[in-house]
Amino acid sequence: MSAVRTLVAWCPDWPVVALGRPLDEPVAVVHANRVIAASPKARQFGVARGLRRRVAQSRCAELDVLERDEAREARTFEPVLASLDDITPRVEVTRPGTCAFAMRGPGRYFGGDTSVADLVHERVGDALAGRTDLRVGIADGPFAAGLAARAAYPTRVVDAGESPAFLAPMAVTVLDQPELTDVLVRLGLRSLGSFAALPATDVLARFGDEGRLAHRLAAGLDERPPDARLPPVDWSVDMEIDPPADRIDRVAFCARSLADGLHERLDREGIACVRIAIEAETEHGETLLRLWRHEGALSAAAIADRVRWQLDGWLNGSATSRPSGGIVRVSLIPDEVVPARGRQLGFWGGETEVDERAARVAARLQGQLGADAVLVPEHRGGRHADEQLTLVPASTVELRGRSLREDDEEAPWPGRLPSPSPSRVPADPGTAEVLDANDRMVTVTGRGLSSGSPTTLVVGRNRHAITAWAGPWPVDERWWDPDEHRRRARFQIVADDGHARLLTLERGQWWVTAVWD
Amino acid sequence: MFDTGSMAAAEQAVLEEKRASLRLVADRMAPLALARERTLPVHAALTGLFPEGGLQRGSVVSVDGVGATALALAVAAGPSASGSWVAVVGDPDLGLAAAREAGVALERMLMVDPSGDRVGLVLAALVGAVDVVIVGQRARVRPADMRRLGARMRERGSVIIRIGGGEQAGVDIGLRVVEHEWAGLGVGHGVLRARRVLVQAGGRGASARTRAAALLLPGPAGEPLQLGTEDGKTEEGEHERGSDPRRLVS
Repeated sequence: MSAVRTLVAWCPDWPVVALGRPLDEPVAVVHANRVIAASPKARQFGVARGLRRRVAQSRCAELDVLERDEAREARTFEPVLASLDDITPRVEVTRPGTCAFAMRGPGRYFGGDTSVADLVHERVGDALAGRTDLRVGIADGPFAAGLAARAAYPTRVVDAGESPAFLAPMAVTVLDQPELTDVLVRLGLRSLGSFAALPATDVLARFGDEGRLAHRLAAGLDERPPDARLPPVDWSVDMEIDPPADRIDRVAFCARSLADGLHERLDREGIACVRIAIEAETEHGETLLRLWRHEGALSAAAIADRVRWQLDGWLNGSATSRPSGGIVRVSLIPDEVVPARGRQLGFWGGETEVDERAARVAARLQGQLGADAVLVPEHRGGRHADEQLTLVPASTVELRGRSLREDDEEAPWPGRLPSPSPSRVPADPGTAEVLDANDRMVTVTGRGLSSGSPTTLVVGRNRHAITAWAGPWPVDERWWDPDEHRRRARFQIVADDGHARLLTLERGQWWVTAVWD
Repeated sequence: MFDTGSMAAAEQAVLEEKRASLRLVADRMAPLALARERTLPVHAALTGLFPEGGLQRGSVVSVDGVGATALALAVAAGPSASGSWVAVVGDPDLGLAAAREAGVALERMLMVDPSGDRVGLVLAALVGAVDVVIVGQRARVRPADMRRLGARMRERGSVIIRIGGGEQAGVDIGLRVVEHEWAGLGVGHGVLRARRVLVQAGGRGASARTRAAALLLPGPAGEPLQLGTEDGKTEEGEHERGSDPRRLVS
């Protein structure tokens, strides 16, 4: 059984385009401190996906680094999707920037693959208005079509039945399953063709279910074999909204509860959803429908995100495409389901039950207190106590089976204080005074020598005698940038209250930068 | 010589970590929860402070005195190293590098800094979901909230560590740094290396008998060390851990 003939339309660099940045400037979009997209100009400098923010900045000094905004990506993609609506009503969104539809109806109606591709170019070209270009790939199955789109300039049509031959020379890494492809490469199977040549039963025996799916993809078949299960009872969930909502903040709340409801229902049946239809009905009886697909199965949070993005895209669209009235009903219809693979909880690490609980409570607190209320540590690198590690919102990282990158642990940061590190690092340090034996403020000369030995520390109203001290350890940072330039001298001081402090002198003012409590 | 020493120490640490996680798994799988099994492992240097040799699940620990923060991190390090999550409530200034050096796994750490009236709500959500909750001094917990939490904690098996909470009601074990002295820093020379502390533990029930432990808190690498066993080595060995801060940076 051959795969469904599919057209994939791909707008390159969508995260950059969505943020409204021209592609001829060096721009990188980061998420959780990693580059996820870069403009062509930035790529010329060697800024690639997966780089750390600092590495990217070091390759291109004038790089503009922007935080990813998925909601905006989805919202700005909606007009592109709307432009395809009169070619086929069933356009599915793989992710903002990439969409797909089955060719069977449109191909017959418009007279063949090439004419549909031309039509897509024409329609989407208008919607994009030159912000980025469009690549169209047509092949058997969404996987091959997606790769055809990446190889296209601007259109690549793989003839019916030719998909296996088209895929065969490609590297196995396009499967995007690092653990599996790593093993395959070590076994000497570098191309999809050589992997596809293995007997399916052997692949299943050695690599399990995931390996079997990857094998089907490599062979140019549909990812999922035809499902023998009975047509499902109606698993859709819906919610009435009264009074009709015309602003996103008034419908957003229903996204989460609908998603949770749907997920719970599917969970009970032991199935997971890979494609979902989001449908909204307005007070004037218009029906809006959009399909979203996910490579893995959609989790409750992922469904909620997509519902919110989609509603936002409809309600904030251009005046012509916006619904004429408020939304009165939202329904979620699981369009394609697969048996849930049943996540196995890890024994020694990886995904464990404790991780799952912690991730759930973090999500709950974010819902109650705001998205930035729950923070998690992340590496950043630097020489000061407040720079080595930083806090990022928990929503930007995956908490289950998380591991902190340690790769800049070995990076030298000259001037870094040796351990032990201070246990208190105030975000806004308080001022202090450091006096010598004659009650004059201790200063540091341009050559890094202190004017006298510190004997008294004044913090607030308290005077402490200094029992031990060392310094000054001067730091002259970012002297090449007049705005960021900082010259500081650091002292470690132990006072008679027993506390050890890191005192910093900057522009004639002493600060308590850190305390070893 | 120095290399083999540190390697042996690293192996020891790995072994220790594996044992701790084995204990945690055994703990989880035990069909019958005896009081002694309902404990979270603590760092080896601190076992003497707890009557069961570990943190009793469902208990409230307070830490006080100079070095309370380091002590709180040291208490949290044991469970964290063996797979538990640690949440920090109302203490945004906590030194993350110090937490990592103390042995807290930062990949299993959450920081929440709720406004005053939300503290009760946040704690109620965290208790039961994470094993260890460190409550900073900025988070004011009302006694009524604390009582409500107590029942939930005993049921779910979470532990609360309160920094500077010694005088509060509902504390099961109170740890207090009674003596402390920094080593390594002279007058105009040296660098902070370690702090010798004497920690006293007292409390209710099984922990009523006062216990004490002499520790290096933090030790030269930031992690707590028991004094008496490795005293001489920590004084002299491994001097240059980080880069020299005295070097001018440009």
